[in-house]
Amino acid sequence: MNFPSWTLLGQSLLSGIFIGSLYGLLGLGLSLSWGMLRQINLAHFALAFLGAYLTFQLTSVVGMDPLMTLALILPCFFAFGVLMQWLFSRFAISPFNSLLVTFGITVIIESLIQWLWTADYRRMDSVYADMKFKVGTLYVPIPELFTLLIAILLSLSTWALLRYTDLGRALRASAEDGQIAAAFGVNEKKLALLLSGFSAAFAGVAGLCLALSYTLSPSQIYAWIGVVFAAVMIGGLGNPIGPLVAGIVIGVAEAITMALISPAWAPLVSFSLLIIVLLTRADKI
Amino acid sequence: MLEVERLEVRYGAATALWDVSIRIAAGELVCVVGPNGAGKTTLIDAIAGLNRISAGRLAMDGRDLNHLPGHLFCDQGIAIVPEGRRLFVAMSVLENLELGSFRPAARVARQASLERVLEIFPALKTRLAAPAGTLSGGQQQMVAIARALMAKPRLLLLDEPSLGLAPSIVLEMFRVIREINESGVAVLLVEQNVAMALEIAGRAYVLEEGRIISEGSPADLMNQPHIRRAYLGESG
Repeated sequence: MNFPSWTLLGQSLLSGIFIGSLYGLLGLGLSLSWGMLRQINLAHFALAFLGAYLTFQLTSVVGMDPLMTLALILPCFFAFGVLMQWLFSRFAISPFNSLLVTFGITVIIESLIQWLWTADYRRMDSVYADMKFKVGTLYVPIPELFTLLIAILLSLSTWALLRYTDLGRALRASAEDGQIAAAFGVNEKKLALLLSGFSAAFAGVAGLCLALSYTLSPSQIYAWIGVVFAAVMIGGLGNPIGPLVAGIVIGVAEAITMALISPAWAPLVSFSLLIIVLLTRADKI
Repeated sequence: MLEVERLEVRYGAATALWDVSIRIAAGELVCVVGPNGAGKTTLIDAIAGLNRISAGRLAMDGRDLNHLPGHLFCDQGIAIVPEGRRLFVAMSVLENLELGSFRPAARVARQASLERVLEIFPALKTRLAAPAGTLSGGQQQMVAIARALMAKPRLLLLDEPSLGLAPSIVLEMFRVIREINESGVAVLLVEQNVAMALEIAGRAYVLEEGRIISEGSPADLMNQPHIRRAYLGESG
């Protein structure tokens, strides 16, 4: 093992934080729908990639600014999330079946992406792509920094909403005991639609961040599932801050492993962490 | 105020309640006694909108509740203290109370309601920030009653409020229930602690195997040999 230079280590640390914030951003919607609606929404990843491809299309072909694409994507995704929850509740889909159904949706979205954009790698050209600044000897890329800030902003505002508003209290009460929450006037079905809409819109935001910093291909959908699941479970289901914190821990652990040992060892770190958490706090999950 | 006529509740193929009719006038304290599994909880849950009813009629001030969505029952002035308390244990005591006043009509009076329930249960004052699940059984029961009062009910449904509590706390609970009733809130109390329930009730029903078998003033019921034998521990 060669000890790398401090600059390399610092740069690894930074890139670990950045990729970890994307794990957290992808995990936020997943954690909310898992913890509060008892749905394991695999389609969240496919939706994020669909968002990324739509951002790519609107930016590269139509010529919109990537950030402006959110104005179109967020309402559409919110509506998709609401529709999905409406169907789930209409057909009374159980937590386990939600896994199967959303896996089906994932495959459909993947095929759709492959049909529209082919299986070739796509990389979005935008004004932000090569923006970066230097702090000491370290480079800070703007798109990744944007991802980190967005992830922090969304996680904190979701936390504050759940903690300090009547709507948030109603959501938490509903997740604990829906029947009793309803007895005090909480309209569970309406809240579930709202939550699912927000969760899908979060996937849209994650999609924008994916498009800003990563090369896209349809099969990449599956590459993120394992590690984001680990972040969600370590962070605690339904906890809006947990996935971000756990995501950054995993991201940094992976990046340091890559720098110190070899890139091939990185997945071992995240899954070792997951196994340790599953063993030690299984009751919390 | 509350009218329950020929109510029937089925769970799948099993019928939990048959032909149950009860009435509660404004400000009354009515008690339903009966053995375990008689359908007392099913009855109270149906009145709170937690269970769908299969047949019969449920009405509040002449307004039919049969087809009202469950989350709108509390707008009719009905609040429940469910069996086993069912607090939101991961949420703080204050948050549980705030949730009790979730509906707009109760929300505008939240601060006043909060002061009032803390007057009734001063022991909760210092525990407001604690997660509800960390409280003792007696305190949790207080939170459950306080949460229901936060909804500003005209009819308070209490399901086994004395279950699992120490005798001294049970006495205190019954004192509070009487006090709440005296402030003008009608109370429907379901209890296995028959002697104490009959002591504070103005009227009582006996529910056995999903049917009302007897109705009357506590004095009437206590004079019936069957009641004395089955519920008041009298031999012979």
